[in-house]
Amino acid sequence: MPPLAMSLLQRVCQAGLVAWVVGTLTFVLTRTLPGDMAYRIAAGRYGHEQVTAAAAEAVRAELALEGSAVQAYLQWFGDLARGDLGRSLVSGQPVAGELQHLLGHSAQLAGVAIVMALLIGVPFGLASGLSRHRLLDRLGLALAVAMRSLPPFVIGLGLIMLFSITLGWLPAAGSGHLTHLWLPAMALALGLAAVSSRVTHHAMARVAASPFYAFARQKGLSARQALYRHGLRNVSVPVVAYLGVQLIYLMEGVVVIESLFAWPGIGHALVHAVVARDVPMIQGTALVLGLGFVLLNALVDLACRGLDPLRQTS
Amino acid sequence: MTPLMEVRNLCVETTQPPIHTLLHPVSFTLHAGRPLTLLGETGSGKSLLAQAVMGTLPPGLRARGDVMVEGRNFLALPARARAKWWGRHFALLPQEPWHALDPTMRIGAQIEEGHRLVAGRSRSAAQHATDQSLMRLGLADCRRHLPQALSGGMAQRAAFAAARTTEAPIVIADEPTKGLDSTRRDEVVTLLREALNERSSLLAITHDIDVARQLGGDIMVVRDGICLEQGEARTVLDAPRSEYAKRLIAADPRHWPAPASPAPASAQPVIEGRTLRMKRGNRVLFSNLSLTLSPGEIVGLTGPSGCGKSTLGDILLGIITPDEGHVHRARGHAPLRFQKLYQDPPAAFAPHWTLHTLLEDLCARHRLDRGRIPLLMTRLGLHARLLQRQPGQLSGGELQRFSILRALLLEPVFLFADEPTSRLDPITQQDTLALLTDVAREHDCAVLLVSHDPALITASCDRQVVLSG
Amino acid sequence: MTTTATHHRIPLLRLRVPLPRARMAGALLLALLIAFGWLVPLWHDVSPHHQDLMHTLTPPGAEHLLGTDPLGRSMLGRLTEAVRLSLGLALLSVASAAVPGVVFGVIAGWRPGLVDRSLGLVADVVLALPGLLLVLLLAAIAPGTFWSLYVGIALVLWVEYFRVVRTATRTLISAPQVQCARMLGFGPGYIFRRHLWPELAPEVTTLAAFGASTAVLAVSSLGFVSIGLRPPTAELGLMMTELFPFYQEAPWLLAQPVIMLFLMVLSFQLLAGREPQ
Repeated sequence: MPPLAMSLLQRVCQAGLVAWVVGTLTFVLTRTLPGDMAYRIAAGRYGHEQVTAAAAEAVRAELALEGSAVQAYLQWFGDLARGDLGRSLVSGQPVAGELQHLLGHSAQLAGVAIVMALLIGVPFGLASGLSRHRLLDRLGLALAVAMRSLPPFVIGLGLIMLFSITLGWLPAAGSGHLTHLWLPAMALALGLAAVSSRVTHHAMARVAASPFYAFARQKGLSARQALYRHGLRNVSVPVVAYLGVQLIYLMEGVVVIESLFAWPGIGHALVHAVVARDVPMIQGTALVLGLGFVLLNALVDLACRGLDPLRQTS
Repeated sequence: MTPLMEVRNLCVETTQPPIHTLLHPVSFTLHAGRPLTLLGETGSGKSLLAQAVMGTLPPGLRARGDVMVEGRNFLALPARARAKWWGRHFALLPQEPWHALDPTMRIGAQIEEGHRLVAGRSRSAAQHATDQSLMRLGLADCRRHLPQALSGGMAQRAAFAAARTTEAPIVIADEPTKGLDSTRRDEVVTLLREALNERSSLLAITHDIDVARQLGGDIMVVRDGICLEQGEARTVLDAPRSEYAKRLIAADPRHWPAPASPAPASAQPVIEGRTLRMKRGNRVLFSNLSLTLSPGEIVGLTGPSGCGKSTLGDILLGIITPDEGHVHRARGHAPLRFQKLYQDPPAAFAPHWTLHTLLEDLCARHRLDRGRIPLLMTRLGLHARLLQRQPGQLSGGELQRFSILRALLLEPVFLFADEPTSRLDPITQQDTLALLTDVAREHDCAVLLVSHDPALITASCDRQVVLSG
Repeated sequence: MTTTATHHRIPLLRLRVPLPRARMAGALLLALLIAFGWLVPLWHDVSPHHQDLMHTLTPPGAEHLLGTDPLGRSMLGRLTEAVRLSLGLALLSVASAAVPGVVFGVIAGWRPGLVDRSLGLVADVVLALPGLLLVLLLAAIAPGTFWSLYVGIALVLWVEYFRVVRTATRTLISAPQVQCARMLGFGPGYIFRRHLWPELAPEVTTLAAFGASTAVLAVSSLGFVSIGLRPPTAELGLMMTELFPFYQEAPWLLAQPVIMLFLMVLSFQLLAGREPQ
């Protein structure tokens, strides 16, 4: 099998695993709900006054809270396989419809964060990797260690305090306007940039010290020609490949940062659903996050393949 | 005739105090059409000389003296100005061409960019020149290949084409034959000789006496940063004056004393391989191969790289099972008495423990007599203080003698020595191999000795087996 | 004063090389944090849960060394509890991830077969999702419990040891040094002790340090979005959520858990001794 098809097949398998893990865990979740859960959920949906035995029964049926575990488990996956994610227990709306709306916001936030991170991290890493000054390397390292020691939500808190509360330049929470995007994207981007700059630094330093880079200069290319023709492509491969690792940081960050900034995306909805024990919504949001993770990883694979001719032939 | 390059009192030293001189002052002149070869062991400072001439010394080192090219002192130019001479006046052939080519760029593009950006040709002229040089070097099919698809010899030729897009008059080749077997090595020498004409010349750096001999011209022998002697190649190689050059030349396997008369083949072979056949992938390495070794017999095994020499030895040791045939060992010998010596001595020891600990482990495991260790160490010329060191702190020659010692403790009857000296300097190689064959004969131990150097096998073995591949 | 050179040698740990300065700093910082969490309560015994609504939001002073929170609870008491909780959970989950991870990694790398394939599958399942998402889903099943966080984090961390150790073992087992040891008649125990472990140990300790920082960050992240531990437990992320509304009145309060979390993760990052790969 050609390597490209092989790696895509692996990603498809991973997507299957995501669906299985998320489906199974949320199924277990429904089975561990306390006895009066159906009433509470019904109360959440219709209001306390209107809870009737019939409404609770409807919830029970929807979640398949009764019957044998095996049968319910099969039915659960049957629904999942048909793409039927059910209705939110809180809003009563179909989960699939809500997800579409949420996904757009999350994708926007994540995309802006990645672009910002690369715009900050890569030039800094290139400069410090090419420079012979130890100071720049040390400074970059110290900054990166500090950033890694601060989770994105702490960075986010700091940004809110500085830009919203103290300076009053940008809104702290909400959505709908471009200004709402800056702080959450920045909170995610700073941590990503710290890592990107170090990966770029090491890749650039390794390329600059490599025999082929020295040979490029010695056969007569100028420093700039050697960098453009032999440096950047070789640096870009590990930088892009490492984006795959950074996706984990991004996904985890999205969940927490959206909650902090009340950004109406998937992560925010997932946290809300967990708090409200809205099982179909938990399943839907976790599934989308997991599949998004797989899809982005597949894109990183493809990008690496495009950049690195070695992977095309081997 | 005006010389192409005149080097006067060139030396290399550290920039930070305490100042060490790594290369003591040397002077030489490079004439067009007449190559100059620097001959010396690894660590002798000969590569520093090439870097000093090119102005590519690593940070922390500086060169002093004069390098006169076209009436100007190249060394006195600022770094930026020197870089402009690279590829135009100097063409450097890299040590390991495989690593010197950009792994992600196709061969054609790596040559073409020199024609375009360094020699300043138009796109179509550059393409044409690239095709021409690829054709001339027998690489016409490799234009769209990546470096990884090339053999070592092909990569060397591609690097040659990439380095000489402007026909730079001074070609500097730093260990151009490192890691190549003898056929490939001769090809590279032929290639280098092509660079010699009425307008250009070659400064070659090598540890290989054969390469120096084939290139001809002048020779400088360097050791520990000191030039010991210099002169015409034939004179230096045939009648060396310095003690070191004499030993270095004597260490060439072709000059080794003839081996002792072969031990009388005893009736009872110690190990025997019968009708062995082995495949790797779709390629048959060997088939219907039989060989026997008698006690105390030294048998050589040669053949081109990848022909299955190591595989054959591992089959005899039982590490690999052959596809067909079987191995028969003489009765009454414990499996422990069949041992192996490895090509890279440090790779055969646990790196984190002292040799004392490792030998003690072995004695404890098999209840061996510890009293033999000092005796064997004396026999092998190993100093007692080495025991307290870790494997990485010993030289390759010392460590290989320790692996011989380790094997001897187990009273071996058969030793498979897989290129045991190929990573050692010529003089150490000769000493180590002489010790190995001597102690093996003393202990009546059969040795199967692998080498890619036919001269070495002829000089040290009783008989030889050649795998054709 | 003349002292003989010590080279930072700690004979107890059989460390041959002098510890780089960053690792020393990390170890020192961690020791201080442990002392803060476990020793401070010994001489300054204040309950992290005792409310005193007459004295809320007091600044640091003689009575309350680090001040009080909006419910009048002692910040010193709450911070020590939070540090004990985070460090305890981190060390516990790292230990329970490292031991099986290393053991199974060695087995799977040494003898490819059923163990290798089945554990490899488990690893793939765990890695299919970003780690925090898995911990979050497990935490949702048993909300607010310590054990659900512990199981989730240990499950995620375990994979790292398994994969790294398996790969390293595979390479080492086929290396000449191990082939040679076998020819010399040594058994698996000896090969593990002299050949494998010295190579694996530095990698395992580095992974442990990174794992501990992952655990601390995961607990505080979940606490921060209110799906981790529940009030009135003192947990750093949770405390930040509780104290953030009072940032303008009492900025020193919010600063305390932030600084604590930063120092804790920093100590592990320094202790790891290299950058993550």
